[in-house]
Amino acid sequence: MLPDFASVIPESKEDALAYLSSLKSAKIFAGGTDLLVKMRRGESYSHIVDITGIHDLKVISDHDEMINIGALSTHYEISVNQIISEKALSLAQACGWVGSPAIRNMGTIGGNLVNASPAADSLAPLLIHDADVVLESKDGTRRMRLEDFILAPYKTDIQPHEILTFITIKGLPGYREGYKRVTKRAAWAISRLSIAWAIQEKGGFYKDVKLAIGSCTPMPFRPRKVEDSLKDRAKDEKTIQVAVGEIIDEIIKVSGMRPSFVYKIPVVKALLEDILKG
Amino acid sequence: MKKIDFTLNGKQTILDVEDNETLLHALREKLDIKSVKEGCSIGECGACTVLIDNEPHYSCLTLASKVSGHDVKTVEFLGDENLLHPLQEAFITYGAVQCGYCTPGMLLAAYSLLLKNEHPTDTDIKEAISGNLCRCTGYIQIVEAIRNAAGLCKCNS
Repeated sequence: MLPDFASVIPESKEDALAYLSSLKSAKIFAGGTDLLVKMRRGESYSHIVDITGIHDLKVISDHDEMINIGALSTHYEISVNQIISEKALSLAQACGWVGSPAIRNMGTIGGNLVNASPAADSLAPLLIHDADVVLESKDGTRRMRLEDFILAPYKTDIQPHEILTFITIKGLPGYREGYKRVTKRAAWAISRLSIAWAIQEKGGFYKDVKLAIGSCTPMPFRPRKVEDSLKDRAKDEKTIQVAVGEIIDEIIKVSGMRPSFVYKIPVVKALLEDILKG
Repeated sequence: MKKIDFTLNGKQTILDVEDNETLLHALREKLDIKSVKEGCSIGECGACTVLIDNEPHYSCLTLASKVSGHDVKTVEFLGDENLLHPLQEAFITYGAVQCGYCTPGMLLAAYSLLLKNEHPTDTDIKEAISGNLCRCTGYIQIVEAIRNAAGLCKCNS
């Protein structure tokens, strides 16, 4: 059995925010795929605010190049959404790999970010799309970069009375884009290593390169210095070798030499070479 | 305590559930649907799979209070001992059942697939049952059963 709690099931964001501001030790319940597991292991809360009835937070829409993703969108919904597939393919692909079909039907992207597992598949794609999160409470709304929102593995900047309501990302139509991951088995697995990329090229030159590497450093990261240095560079073997070498150096600088790097570093190197060659 | 009003296997069902009660518990202990199994209790094994609005969900990680207004199906929806569903027939024919613990969830995952895709490839089938673990069969017979049932049933009629 789960620990005792009382739940409320608000149908509007305003009601949910009002409950959160008045209740002590209230926990937001979205898909439940992480929260109920933690509760079975002994975490307890006096009150649960089940926000899954709030339809406004399930909508995915776009305006010019900005895409607004309701935090209650499930991994499945994102994986088959047309806007996401056209303008943020790596995110659609990554969400299509999360857990199992049932987990993808249950788990939400907002919950995934608030849980902040460093191995979350959605993180690397969101980083290359310069994701912002929108946090709302009864006192107001604030917006911050996803990179600033996640403070450390399993730790975010969300405050007790806030709901993560939306994620906004910049669409990259026309980019060569994708997501690759390395796992211990083909399906129903946690990523040991992941890379999201979006690359724009013209006439044998890189115009814009965005890369994010997951599960090599404490949090997925973008090698921005290397991305900048690739701008207007000829797409040739030497450029690729230099860029990949610099990214690997950066990974080792951030993480130190980890035992797993005997395996991971050659794999990241090969994946990055393939991705940059396209 | 919450009063929930939902469709269970085609029938309107009204039930009082505790705030902290899982759908798995409500189905087994209050509605006597013992086909929904408790395996790992943490959303990894798939023995507790039910369909909510025809999509697989783990009932061990679903609060019963969440299904109000939704359609819930368990394996009882597919058929009974007098008239088995073609998927159930195929599971028998192809030896896809050994201990039987995963079978209800496996059948529901397969049924959900066939609703969306009448002619799945083996890859589609493997993907659809990837969240349902079977420690007896090695999956080969299960994939064969689903592949062979696919041509025989009009799941969405």
